[in-house]
Amino acid sequence: MWIALVITHGLVAFLLLGAITHQVVSVWAPVRAGASNFVARFRAVGSANYVNAVIVLYLVTALLGAIIYTKYRISARLTLEQGGYWKSFGAFELKEHFIALGVALLPAYWYFWRSSLAVDDTRTRKLLTTLLAFVVWWAFLAGHIANNIRGIGT
Amino acid sequence: MKADGRFARFTVTFAAVFAIVYYFAVANNWALFSYGPAIGQWTLFTQAAAAGPTMYWYGWIATSALAAAGVATFVALLPEHLTQWLWPGFAWLVPAGSIVAFAHLLRGYFAR
Repeated sequence: MWIALVITHGLVAFLLLGAITHQVVSVWAPVRAGASNFVARFRAVGSANYVNAVIVLYLVTALLGAIIYTKYRISARLTLEQGGYWKSFGAFELKEHFIALGVALLPAYWYFWRSSLAVDDTRTRKLLTTLLAFVVWWAFLAGHIANNIRGIGT
Repeated sequence: MKADGRFARFTVTFAAVFAIVYYFAVANNWALFSYGPAIGQWTLFTQAAAAGPTMYWYGWIATSALAAAGVATFVALLPEHLTQWLWPGFAWLVPAGSIVAFAHLLRGYFAR
């Protein structure tokens, strides 16, 4: 069961990573018309369309991570400690805190994307999205590294 | 620019207060409850599990969410003129500051 949960957690996290990366690129470097190549089309997505997907994927990923975390705490974490992988260990510790901070950002993220798309709120939207993208990227990489060192079932 | 409307004030305050309380909850171990994953034991506050490691992460989140929800509800219910100071940017600036504070708090792991 744990292996299935870890794989599902990773797959959902990967979807989240794609959605938030699309959104953050499109808010910082939007392409309004004439997207003619792959990079331009990547930037040309409708940013607001990603909001609900990001929120649902974030919550599902965090929930799965919170369940798996119990298993990590009694197995993989010991391997990181005993092997002296302190930077990976520290990155994972930061991950858990960043994820918690990210959950608390979601109501504001939702509000500033869905309320009015007012010009006044553009900077708030951009920076909330950027901060959430940072959290998601950090969590993905730290989790991936920890799993490479000691995945559940290895 | 200010956070207009009750829900806006709630979301901005919630994100900011959660970020502050969560940092202090972790730094001082203010967990609302604890969990012992080896034996599946839940205990109130920061009581160590009877066997194996004790997890406080869920408890820190609960402490912070409760405090943030309380303060955010209070701010949301205040009359509009008393919340002119509430800048929407607090929703990202305070959590960003908390991220930096956590990096500082846990810097020891990266210096070994």
